[in-house]
Amino acid sequence: MSTTIFSLICALIFLILDGVDVSLTEAAVGAGISTILFLSTLKHTDVKIKKSNKKISPLIGLFLLLLLSLSYMVSDLPEYGKIKVSSESYVTKYYITNSKTEMGITNVVTSILAGYRGFDTLGEVVVIFIAGISVLGILRKRSNL
Amino acid sequence: MKHHLIPRIVTKLIIPLILLFGLYVQFHGDFTAGGGFQAGVIFAAGFILYNIIFGIKVGQSILSINMTKNLMAAGLLLYVFVGFLGILLGGNFLDYNPLSSNSVQGQLTGVFLIELGVGLTVSNVMILIFYSFNHIDKEQI
Repeated sequence: MSTTIFSLICALIFLILDGVDVSLTEAAVGAGISTILFLSTLKHTDVKIKKSNKKISPLIGLFLLLLLSLSYMVSDLPEYGKIKVSSESYVTKYYITNSKTEMGITNVVTSILAGYRGFDTLGEVVVIFIAGISVLGILRKRSNL
Repeated sequence: MKHHLIPRIVTKLIIPLILLFGLYVQFHGDFTAGGGFQAGVIFAAGFILYNIIFGIKVGQSILSINMTKNLMAAGLLLYVFVGFLGILLGGNFLDYNPLSSNSVQGQLTGVFLIELGVGLTVSNVMILIFYSFNHIDKEQI
């Protein structure tokens, strides 16, 4: 429930910051679908915890490696509150000025997502597809789908 | 939840509006906020609401599990197909200009098809995840 409320507040903040597309996504995914999925997962949980015999030491190493590499990348992020960040770069200006004439699409977010950065979006769709397949693979044994 | 009168009636009123809003976000994403991803999630939310109120059996008579599997693959394939169509017509991968004689029209067609693919995949993955979580439940009881 608290994640849902957090998502709703986030959606409002994005709306105030003029990020309408992000706000719509946050409201639909964070507040809508994920709440339903969380609740339907909670129905299957139990109070007791089973002891697993699997070793977790290699996983901890992987986790630390990821944590280190991610925190190294944090130092490359722009300073918080800096006005002149990525919107000053050449590519962004190109997208904003040419989206209407080149593609006939007034919503720059859509033209970047589907047009200029179409390959990235293909990767995103593949990730979602893989998520669907893996949920099916994990739960199939128990439910005979 | 079938015996609750008020949720049933309200859902019947609301679901067409949710689905219509999903379609609006899908096909009007070029000009206003939104796109395939958001539209897919909104559409899936409307369908899941129907499932919660009227029961999963009724929902699966409309959209069976096999159908969701096929549709989610079809969305991804449509995306990749549009990408290779650009190569076949003499452009690069995911190049929409050769799709039509007018390059702006080609871009619009390409973006429309790709958003359709994204919407299909996202909505069917969401519905499939919901189905697979709630199937276990029925067997355990």
